[in-house]
Order: sequence, then C-alpha cells, then structure tokens
Amino acid sequence: MNYPIWEIPAIGGGSLIALIAILHVYIAHLAVGGGMFIWLTDRKGYRENSAEIHNYVHKHTWFFLLLTMVFGGITGVGIWFIIALIHPAATSSLIHNFVFGWAIEWVFFLGEITALLVYYYQFDHLTQKQRMQLSFLYFLFAWLSLFIINGILSFMLTPGQWLETGNFWHGFFNPSFLPSLLFRTFAAAMIAGLFGYVTTVFLKDSAFRSAMLKYSTRWLLYPLLGLIPSGIWYYFTVPSVNRVSAFSLNPETGIFASLFIVASILIFLLGIFLTMRSGVAAQRIATSALLIIGLGWMGGFEYMREIARKPFVISDYMYSTSILKSDAGKLSREGILANAKWTYVKRVTPQNPMEAGEEIFRLQCSGCHTLNGIRNDIIPQTELLSYTGMISFLFGQGKVHTYMPEFIGTEQEKDALAAYIAGGLHKNPVIMEPQPYQIQPILNTIPDYDQKKAEYILLVWNDLGMHCISDSDPWFVILPPANTLEAQIIKRGPLPQLVADNIELTYRVEPGFENPAAHTQFWDYAERIFGAKLPQNVGLHGNGLSGKFKWNPDRNSFIVETIPVMPYNDDGSFNPYPIFTVEARDSASGKLLAVTQAVTPTSTEMGCRNCHGGGWKRNGIAGVSDETATNILKIHDRLSGTNLYDLARKGQPQLCAGCHPDPALGAEGKAGQMYLSASIHGWHANYMHLKGAQACGMCHPAYASGRTRCSRGIHGEVGVTCVDCHCELADHALTLLKGQADKPGATRLMAHLTPTKAENKDQINPRSPWLNEPDCLTCHEGFQKPASNATSYNVWSKAFEDLYRIRTDNAGIRCAACHNSTHAEYPSENPFGRDRDNIQPLQYSGAPYPIGSNISCEVCHMQKMENPIHHPNFYREFRNKRTEQKTAVAANF
Amino acid sequence: MDPLTLIPTPDTIPAPSWLFLLLDVSTFTLHILLINIVLGGSLILLFTRAGKQSAEPENKLQEGIAGKLPVIIALAINFGVAPLLFLQVIYGHLFYTSSVLMAVYWILIIPLLIVGYYGAYYYIRKKSSAPMLSRIAILLTSLILLYIGFIFVSNMTMMAQPEKWVAYFENRGGTLLNSGDPTIIPRYLHFVTASIAIGGLFLAIVWWFRKQKNAAGAEEKIKSALRIFGIATAMQVVIGFWFLLALPSEFIIQFMGQNLFFTLLLFAGIFLGIGAIVFAFLGNLTFTAAFFVATILTMVITRANLRALYLGDAFSLSSLKVAPQYGVMALFFIIFAVGIVSVVYMVRMAISANERRIAS
Repeated sequence: MNYPIWEIPAIGGGSLIALIAILHVYIAHLAVGGGMFIWLTDRKGYRENSAEIHNYVHKHTWFFLLLTMVFGGITGVGIWFIIALIHPAATSSLIHNFVFGWAIEWVFFLGEITALLVYYYQFDHLTQKQRMQLSFLYFLFAWLSLFIINGILSFMLTPGQWLETGNFWHGFFNPSFLPSLLFRTFAAAMIAGLFGYVTTVFLKDSAFRSAMLKYSTRWLLYPLLGLIPSGIWYYFTVPSVNRVSAFSLNPETGIFASLFIVASILIFLLGIFLTMRSGVAAQRIATSALLIIGLGWMGGFEYMREIARKPFVISDYMYSTSILKSDAGKLSREGILANAKWTYVKRVTPQNPMEAGEEIFRLQCSGCHTLNGIRNDIIPQTELLSYTGMISFLFGQGKVHTYMPEFIGTEQEKDALAAYIAGGLHKNPVIMEPQPYQIQPILNTIPDYDQKKAEYILLVWNDLGMHCISDSDPWFVILPPANTLEAQIIKRGPLPQLVADNIELTYRVEPGFENPAAHTQFWDYAERIFGAKLPQNVGLHGNGLSGKFKWNPDRNSFIVETIPVMPYNDDGSFNPYPIFTVEARDSASGKLLAVTQAVTPTSTEMGCRNCHGGGWKRNGIAGVSDETATNILKIHDRLSGTNLYDLARKGQPQLCAGCHPDPALGAEGKAGQMYLSASIHGWHANYMHLKGAQACGMCHPAYASGRTRCSRGIHGEVGVTCVDCHCELADHALTLLKGQADKPGATRLMAHLTPTKAENKDQINPRSPWLNEPDCLTCHEGFQKPASNATSYNVWSKAFEDLYRIRTDNAGIRCAACHNSTHAEYPSENPFGRDRDNIQPLQYSGAPYPIGSNISCEVCHMQKMENPIHHPNFYREFRNKRTEQKTAVAANF
Repeated sequence: MDPLTLIPTPDTIPAPSWLFLLLDVSTFTLHILLINIVLGGSLILLFTRAGKQSAEPENKLQEGIAGKLPVIIALAINFGVAPLLFLQVIYGHLFYTSSVLMAVYWILIIPLLIVGYYGAYYYIRKKSSAPMLSRIAILLTSLILLYIGFIFVSNMTMMAQPEKWVAYFENRGGTLLNSGDPTIIPRYLHFVTASIAIGGLFLAIVWWFRKQKNAAGAEEKIKSALRIFGIATAMQVVIGFWFLLALPSEFIIQFMGQNLFFTLLLFAGIFLGIGAIVFAFLGNLTFTAAFFVATILTMVITRANLRALYLGDAFSLSSLKVAPQYGVMALFFIIFAVGIVSVVYMVRMAISANERRIAS
C-alpha cells in the first residue's frame, strides 16, 4: 500500500526470501553451535593433552570461519536486503520498533568477528587461557546474537502484549521467545555436530577419525533430548487458531511438516551409522547426505514457522499483503486503490475493470502468489472457478481458511479482481451466473372425472416438493434418481372413508420418460456406489417407471419409493415435472375405480457450475458436467485431504453420504463427519456473496429465472420466498451446524457466520436436516391467515411425525393429499404449464385450490357438511383465489 | 502524477532524529573508510602486480595490504550494517522505495559480495601457488566491489529524488538505475578515486608500523604509498569540482555562499584535502593523515547536507514522529561500551600473541 511492489511474477518474493533465509539460518545456527563446538573441543584437546585435537580444531575453525563469517555473515545481510525488497512495510516496522535491538545485535556481531579472527589467526600463539577465553567469547557473542534475533523473529509469530502496549520489551520477550530460544539453541548444537562430520571425514588417521566421528555424533544426538521437549513447548505457544490454520487447514504445510519429520529421522539414523565401522567413502557420502538433509530439516522447520503466522507477516498486526489489520476496515470502505500510493488506477470504473483488477492483484495477491511461477501459483489455484465462483471465493477468503487474509477493498474492487483473475488470466467469460433461461410451456390434459357418479377420489402426491439429482455418477453422487409417490384413496359418500383393502394402485410415467437409463449413467455405477445390482430403469427400492404401489400402514397411504425418474425426455428436451398416471382398481375384479395424474418434480439443475465452472451436462440445459464435477473433486481433495478425484478416475466414484451422514438417504457416513447438509450449507454459506432466495437459487433448482423454478406453489405467487421459511443461508447453515456442534469442523464453519435476526449464535436453535424443518403452523398459527409480522425464523418442527409431509388432518388424510407437496401448494403455478401441478383439484372440483376448500365438501362427502372436522378454519372460502391479475391475489393474502 | 504523493508514510522513530543522523554519519564514516581501503587495496594489488618488481613478494609495497584484506572486508561489512540500520530509521521509507526500483541490481550485491569475499581469501591463500588464478580472483573481487559501489551510489541518489520514481510505472521489474543523472559518474568516480587514495594512505600506515620494526625499505615504501594518495587526491579535487558543477544549479548556489554552513564546510574540506596532498608529496604521513581525517569529516557531513538539499520539501527529518524508547537506547549504549571494551581486550590478546610469534 505504502511502497512500490517489485514485480517478479514467475519467482515470487516469498521464494527469494526462503532461498536466502534458509541457507542463512542453517549457517547461522552453525555459527552459534559451532562456536560451542570449537570451545569445548579445544578444551577437550587441552584436557586430553592431544595435539591431534588442537590441530583438528584449528583446521575446523578455518572451514568454520569461511562458512560462517563470509557466507553466513553476508547472507544475513542478504535476508535484510531481500525482506526490505519484498516486505518493505514489515521491514520498516521491525526496524523502527526494534532499532536498538538490532543495534545491540550489531555490537555482538562485531564481538563475534573479532573473537573469531583473533582466535583463528593467532591460534598457535595464544596461551591456553587466551584460547579458552576467546573461543568462549565467540560462542557467547554468537549466542547473544541469536538471543536478539530470536526475540524479533518470535515477535513476528506471537507479538503478545505488544499489540496493546507497543512496548519494546513486551514484543521482545513475547510468548514464544523462550521455547524458540531453547529450540534454536539445541538445533544449533545439533548442526554443529553435523558440520563436525564435514571436517572429521577428511582426517587421515582412521582411529582418530573414528573417535572424532563418535564425538560429532554425540553433538548430533544429545541435543535431540532438548529439541523434542522445547519443540513441543514451542508448538503449543503458537495460538491454537494459528495451529489449526497452519497444521490442519493449510494444504501448503503438509510437505514441510513431512520434510521436517523425515529429515529428523534420517539425521538420527545417519548419525548412528557414522559411529559404526565403515569405509571412509561411505562416511563421506553419509556426511554429504547429512548436510543436505540438515538443510531440508532447517527449511522444513522455518517454512512451518512462517506458515504458522499466516495470513500475517506480523501476527495480528500486519497482513502478508503489508496492510495493517487496523486499516482493513477503512480500506474496505474507501477502497484500496484510492488509498494505495503506488498505483495509477485510483478507482474502478466500467471502463477499467481488468486494469484495476490487475493493480488489486499486485496489491493483495502478489505478495504470496506467483503468476505461472514456481510456488503458490495463482493459476492452478483459481482455474477451477468461474467469474462468479471467483467473486464467491473472494467473499469467503480468509473465513474458513484463515491462512489467507480476508479480501480488503470495496465490492467493485472485489468484482474487478475477480474479473482480472477469471477473465484476464483464465479467459473465462466475465458474466454473472446464473443467466436467465427461457422455458417452453407444455400442454397437459386433465383426466376425466364425473363428480356425480364417481365412487372414489384418488389423491396422489410426491413426498417432496422437488427432488434433486446431480447426474454426475462417474464422479460423485449427491442424490440418485429417486422420486417417491404417495396416494390415498377415499370412498365418497356422506361419511367418506379412506380405503385400502382389495385395491390395487398402479402407476406409469408419461411417454418419453420410460427409459431414463438412456440418459444417465446412474445404472453404470449403482452397484459400485449403492451396492445394489439394479436392472436398467429400476430404482433403489426395485421400482421402475411403471408398477404398483404398496400399502404402508404407518403412513396410512399407498406408496411407491424411489422411482428412478429423470427430467430428460427422449426427444432431448428438459422437463423437471414428468407426469405420472395413477390408476386404482379393484384387486379382485380389476375394475377401474379411479384414475388421476401427479407430477414427480425432479431436477438436475444443480447450480454447481455457476461457481465451479464448466458447462451443463445435458444439452447445455442441466446436469453437473464432467468438468464441473472434476473441478469440485479437485477442490475437495485439496482442501480436505481426500483423493476423490483419483478414486473416481479409477472407476470408484463416491456417494457424498458415504462419508457425510445424510438422513435423506438413511446414510450413516463416517464417524466424526458432519451431516452432508450441514457441511455443504455450512461451507458454502461462508462463500455465498448473494442474499435471500438468490443465494438458494445459486445451487438449488429454485432460481426464479432458471430451468426448473421449483418454488411454484401459492407461497411463491404471493411473494413468500425460500428464506421466509428456511431462513437466510447464514441462519440456515447455523441451525444445521449447531446441530453438529460436537463435530470438529462445525466451529470453524460457524466462526464467520452471523445470524440475520437472532442477536447472537447462542439463540440459534439447532436442528437435523430433513428431520427438523419449517413448520407451516408457525406462521399459519391455528390454521389461520398469518399475521402481518408472522415469521418462522429459527422455529423447527420437533419430530419426524411433525413434518408437513407426514402429518394428517383429524380424519387421517395427509396434509399433502389436499394441499399438494411442499413448494407446489395449491393453487400452484408451474413454469412448464400453469396447471401442471394442479391436475387433481381441477379434476375433482374444477378449480386449482386445495381439495375441499371453498366449502366444496361434496368432492368427498357428495353433499355440503356443517361440521368441519378436518382442521380449524377449514370451513370457508379460499383466501387467495385466482384472478387474472396475479397481484390482486398477492394483496389478498 | 505528482511524485510527492508516492512518498511512503514513515514510521515513528524511537529517539530524536538527530541521534540517528549522528549514529548514521559516524558509523558510515568508519564504513566508507574501510570500504575505501578494501577497494583501493584490491585495485592497487591488481595494478601493481602487473609491474615487475625484483623484491621478494612479502617485501613488495602492495603486499602490505594483502594479508589484511579479508579482515578489513569483515570489518567493513560489520561497519556497513550500522549505518544501513540507522539510515533505515530516518530515511527508510525513501530507501526501501529506491531499493525496490533497482531490486534486481540491489539483491545481486549479496551473491556477488560472497564471491568477491571468497575471491579475496583465494588471492591470499593461492597468490604464490596459483598466481594466475589468484590474479583473476582479485580482479573479480575488484570488479564486484566496483559494481557494488555503483549500485550504492545509484540507490543513495535515487532515494533522494522522488521525482524520478514515476519511472516505476513503466518498469516494475526492479531494473531501474539512476544512471541518467549527470552527477552519477562524477559522484561514483569521487568514491573510486577516494578508494585509491585511501588504499595508498593505508599502505603508508602499514609500512609505518613495519618501519617501527625496522623493516627494510620501509621509508621508501611510505613515500611511494603517500605518492599514490597524493596523485589520487589531486585527481579527486578535479573530480570533486566536476561533481559540484554537475549538481542542479540551485544546489550549487547553496554551496557557493547561499548557505553559509554548507559553503564553509565544503571549502574547508577542499582546502584540507589540498593540505593533505601537499603533505603527502612532502612525505609527511602524520600531517597527511591528520588533514585527511579532517577532510573526511567535512565531506561526510557535506554528503548529508547534499541529501537534505535533494530532498528539499519532499521530506525533512523534523517531520518524523518520535515514540521514545530511552530505556532500550540506554541499554544499547551500555552494551556498545561493553562491546568496545571486549573488542579492545581481544585485540590486545592478538597483539600479545603476535609479539610471542615474532619473539619465537
């Protein structure tokens, strides 16, 4: 913000810092530990009166001097140079807060080089006392240098009280100061042993060489006793939020943690090896390997430490983008372009989104990400997202994965950055998904019915208002094709009866939908995913596209479960509302008693592609395409450490509910995993940049101008949207996550979600998906017209039996039998033909209203009745009668 | 675009700016003297080796510096850390910016310096056993030192001229140098020539010590070394005027009487320098050295004055906000004093060891 940015997109500043810093830190630790090594080894020479040892120490010191004073000294200045180039603001902050610390370190540096030069150049002419004093002084000054640098370095990770006081000492003696100092001191001794080998393996006398190898091994191994406890202490002084962020969430950490652990083990093993009898060649090879492994060990450790303070360069004070945490709010209000000194684009205009986006990229991304570069390349990390997905990503950045900072800037700046990344870098279209779609209505007929003569009323409904299918079987399955129809049959008369005995119900799908196997790969993978060998066009419960209902006494209904109907017509068209014809016959005589039709709402319009990129699978209309599906799996693998993409490529796609429990499928999932619904809503709620029903429509087939428009009941017509019953996505997710509060992931998904109406998260009522749902009677209290301020916010049905789709009236008739399934409540307005969902009320009463409404008792009773037993407020004219003007209906509601 | 809007906001400083300026200028003086000795010494080694001298290698004039080179490099680097630190306290926001503009050249200093440093060690270790390679090594060291000097001159001048920073928007890759500035060449030559002069003076001092130990031909060597100093400093006067005249005219006026302090100091420096030349040709080491030290002091302050002129309205030290850390500051001075005592103690050990070596 304050400084120009050195543009090196292919390399990235971080790698340059790492290159110089890791080499330096390795040698700098040698400088400290090696000082102690020289001091104690020279003393050993005096104690053992060994000229051999003195001679060795002299030669070792020459090698040590060349390595530490020249290479170590200058790379130390090099770190300073490079951090000032890459992070000038942070460097400035460290210099200005700790200048006297640095100045003290400079004095120690002067002491170090003086001691070392005098010791080496006058080695043979110093007295024993002088040599002991000088070598000790060298070690002391070197360790004091470490003491100072350690204070400043550990400050960057855990600034502690300094954040409030700004006091030098609070920053210097910060929470991780002591464990870090101990850890580094032990590490220094270990590295001293490691470099002890380097000079030892060149000793000519094999007995002396062998003795000194053993001596060096002691230096290598004894410090381990201190390294392990101090390392653990160090680890636990890092705030837990950083630990989780760095070691559980950040996919970058894994490789460095592995490197550190593997290198630790190899150092130990090779150290043991070097104490054994072996040829000098093997010893030299082992020593060379140890030098490289030691560098890897150091690199692994330093990288982990750096990653642990992400997204900050100075924890809780300055982000890696050089933006002060305290400035973030102002910059998001006023814009980063307006506040950055080193940009010539000062604001986003309709003409300059790409140019502005590129500048924002420099300011906010280039600090950590390369562009087609060697590390943390932005290209593969963003290629799986569309423009809309990029906006969502930026919206959620830093919330769940706290190793990245949140995006700082205005909405326009966020959109411009998304446009630059998705459009400029990936050449994806810069359009906001989903785009409106034109539906072609289809005519449907109403079955014949003679109100005077008919003996039976047949009521059929789909158990859900919409069944969703991902249609991505080669990659993963969220839900399979599986619509469930239920039916009740009423024998008409003054005292109508629900009947079941001696009645057989059959069903058949409308022409064009009989062969879903021709349009989906469900049957190719059903055995692998569901463990069931299914014949083509037969669903999970053995039902096909035509067949018989079964009587279910628990539900008091006929039922046919999981019909594998797809929204794909053989003619290539997309129709998410296929009509089933249902016939009731006398099972003995075969006499047709009643016939009607019902819609099975089923849609593959799952909007994953809106953000995850790729096209639609089926004729550009619906279905999760291979590209979208693989993009999702790759992201899941990267962020959750799974290997779903590889498994799928090997022909083993997974059912999401295989891991994430899902009551909708009765799947138990894996222990510790959250419900699929909690995970998927909880995750995406953090990234969803839209509000209200628009947010729902991004993923569900509920987009108001979409291909399905599933919210087609009277609620939709009078302006009640998804969120009026299900709540805003944030609340919706919170209720599900609170229901999973005992699962490890729930807390971090909830951390950045804020309830829209409840004062805080404590007031949010937990629930389980599919089992605790919005309850109609919350708004329609006492079956009445909802009060003007009625809300179902945060109120859920208690038990399974309380669900609308299960409940009955006082006569045992299911709510949905007369009112139709959710999202299609009578009178419904289906986008594929106005009355497609209203067939039964039109058939039985000539009007699209709930069965028996408008005091149409005769539909079942064949006469007017006086005692309305079904439910309170039943006996009256329907409130929302259709007029030619839809708005008039709404006003009346 | 107004270049002044590009100037980063400076951070608060933990003690008054004059203290850091004082620390900066004083440690810089030591640093630049050491660097001058290193560069001048390397150049003298490089060019005088070409000449045929019949004397034994140890007895050659220039060899007075050879063995000391790595030690002086070590000290020069150490004494470079301090002024670079104090400079960053008061001018950091300007310095970081100009460094970023020339980032590629700037960071290359590090690997090159490592090579140059090892080159000096190689030269000393191998000058007898591998004369050709060691000569290449000292050539490399000299070229690297010349490179580093040029980049520093470029950075220190770029830092004081925000009006040149807008070039960044045409080149963000860190390859901008302040090479178009008319003062760059004379300023750079001013440094190189000073190095040769100070290299000569250092040799004279080395041979003066040897003379105390009755080394053969020491008197003559002192005179030769002073002659190097004298000739280089005479050239320096010419280059100095070139530098002065290459400055923007409004600055020249400042040094020509408009600012009395600036003017007096500059001309005192010039006259002291001329004095040093005279004594050098007279072969008087003590007076040469005394006049030289006085010259250096005036010139280092003049350098700071010139920086203030360049910055003009863009930045003044008085605008820095102070958030004092006097306790830590006091601790630094105590540790500094203890450090100096330790260094003296260790150097005395070296001297006593050296005496034992000679005695044996």
